[in-house]
Amino acid sequence: MAIISNHNVAQAIYLSLKDKPESEQPAFFKNVVRFLARRRLLSKAPDILERLNKIINDDQGKISVKVSSVEKINESAKKEITHNLAKHYGGKTVILEENLNNKLIGGYKIEVNDEVIDFSIKNRIEKLQAYLTNDK
Amino acid sequence: MSTNHIVENLKREIENFSAQIKAEKVGKVLELFDGIAKVSGLSDIKSSEMVTFPNGETGVALNLEEDAVGVIILGDFSKIKEGDAVKATGRILEIPVSDAILGRAVNAIGIPIDGKGAIKAEKTYPIEKVAPGVVTRLSVSEPVATGIKVIDAIIPVGRGQRELIIGDRQTGKTALAIDAILNQKGQNMICVYVSIGQKDSKLRKIEARLEEGGAMKYTVIVSAGASEAASLAYIAPYTGVSIAEYFMDQGKDVLIIYDDLSKHAVAYREISLLLRRPPGREAYPGDVFYLHSRLLERACRRNEKYGGGSITAFPIIETQAGDISAYIPTNVISITDGQIFLETDLFYKGIRPAVNVGSSVSRVGSSAQIKAMKKVAGTLKLDLAQFRELEAFAQFGSDLDEATKNQLERGKRAVEVLKQLQYAPVKTEHQVVTLYALTKGFMDDVALDKIKEFENGLMEYSEHNAKVFYKQIIDKKMWDDKGEEELKKVIKDFKNTFK
Repeated sequence: MAIISNHNVAQAIYLSLKDKPESEQPAFFKNVVRFLARRRLLSKAPDILERLNKIINDDQGKISVKVSSVEKINESAKKEITHNLAKHYGGKTVILEENLNNKLIGGYKIEVNDEVIDFSIKNRIEKLQAYLTNDK
Repeated sequence: MSTNHIVENLKREIENFSAQIKAEKVGKVLELFDGIAKVSGLSDIKSSEMVTFPNGETGVALNLEEDAVGVIILGDFSKIKEGDAVKATGRILEIPVSDAILGRAVNAIGIPIDGKGAIKAEKTYPIEKVAPGVVTRLSVSEPVATGIKVIDAIIPVGRGQRELIIGDRQTGKTALAIDAILNQKGQNMICVYVSIGQKDSKLRKIEARLEEGGAMKYTVIVSAGASEAASLAYIAPYTGVSIAEYFMDQGKDVLIIYDDLSKHAVAYREISLLLRRPPGREAYPGDVFYLHSRLLERACRRNEKYGGGSITAFPIIETQAGDISAYIPTNVISITDGQIFLETDLFYKGIRPAVNVGSSVSRVGSSAQIKAMKKVAGTLKLDLAQFRELEAFAQFGSDLDEATKNQLERGKRAVEVLKQLQYAPVKTEHQVVTLYALTKGFMDDVALDKIKEFENGLMEYSEHNAKVFYKQIIDKKMWDDKGEEELKKVIKDFKNTFK
């Protein structure tokens, strides 16, 4: 028998949840927790939840984006980021999640699923270091 | 260079620099054990694609699973932590190559380890490549002169051939290979010596020996030592053959030695088990045959239309207690074009190189042998086989007829002639002269313990006195009646002076 991955579990939960009326949902969630407990998958719950979140977002045409910067980003920049990302990922609704990170020195870093676009000063300095120390 | 100048230079460099920011695929280390990392994310990664870890180490994606990637880490994995970001590079594992690599020792990822500074790379070559196809190939027809009499005469190897050297520990497998490298001086051959899981002290000794013999000028050493990670031992032979291909692509002939592939298989077994691939016979994974066949298929001789050049491979396999029917030995025997079988018994009997002539074969090499050698060595293998049989038979009684006695005496002398000291390769012309003297019976009345002395004396004497014969061998690869007459006379003259 093939091994059941967290992704499979998340997908199964999503598919059975999709057509349920709201009144049945609490009972359904109880069942899910029981299932996870029986299958000894409770320790994997955070990962399964994350995957479930992604599946729901995918289905609804949303992408969740994590933006890290040293200071809070102003509204106009936020708008620009949202606009460009939506264009880049094919017109999806962008959900921004902001995050403050001192280590970036300046600029910002965008994370979408497993893709990273790093506009931070830290990354640029590292690239410059690699460029200067590289034997050409 | 003044400080100002350096600062100016730096300033210019920095002004010219523009950081290209791209979207990068980044994963996270989930698990880490013994040089293997399980990494989440990294969607769209290719098999054997390079990834980089935060401390600068590179890795190779081997197992692509639904929600994780199994990565082997090439180098130090002690500083990698769980949760570290792993970046995909989009490039298949490759190594830097250039002509400057000749005479150098590099590790499995092409970084010099001999302390002679960086190697300026001109190109990069992927380490995994599909072997040349049928249309690009040419059959083996040119010899590799190993300088070892028993090999050149009885188990000849041609350029583009794959000849396995197999035997127990301490039977002189490496010595045979090193002798072959030493003899390539002036033969238009580039040599690559791949050391897999060997002791660093042994490698140092080999390097010093090659240096002393002036062989490092045309040799590259690729090393994945016993103290290094299994992942490096796994990729080292592929790195070696990529370097060989770099030279072959320039139309050159290359000799590559894999010392040894049993340790390579063990390293791959370790990696496979850690990656949780199912174990098969002797716990090796199912694709261990493919592991070696795809490596050895890259040895070839290419025809002129596709650039010429050749790669001759000498893989080495270490057997346990002479068991050539174990898994890895049988695999590699079936892949290669013949094997040189070394035996402990012969070694301790003083027959060195301890080649068992009966079990050793070369499936394609005889078409590459030069005509003169074919003529003198033609019956040698059969003679030796008959001698072995007679020798066993003669132990039971002393009443033997004259013909049998003669055959025994001839056989003893043949064995004596084929003995050879380490690091003392013999030129092809000399081999022809010695074997001519042996097979034509000129040595029959020389005392057995004087054979070596006779042989050495004859080589020196004939080189100065049988000039026509030597010239014919070098130029035409065969003698004519005039040359033969001269050689006969020279051998007779020498015998008269030899006491």
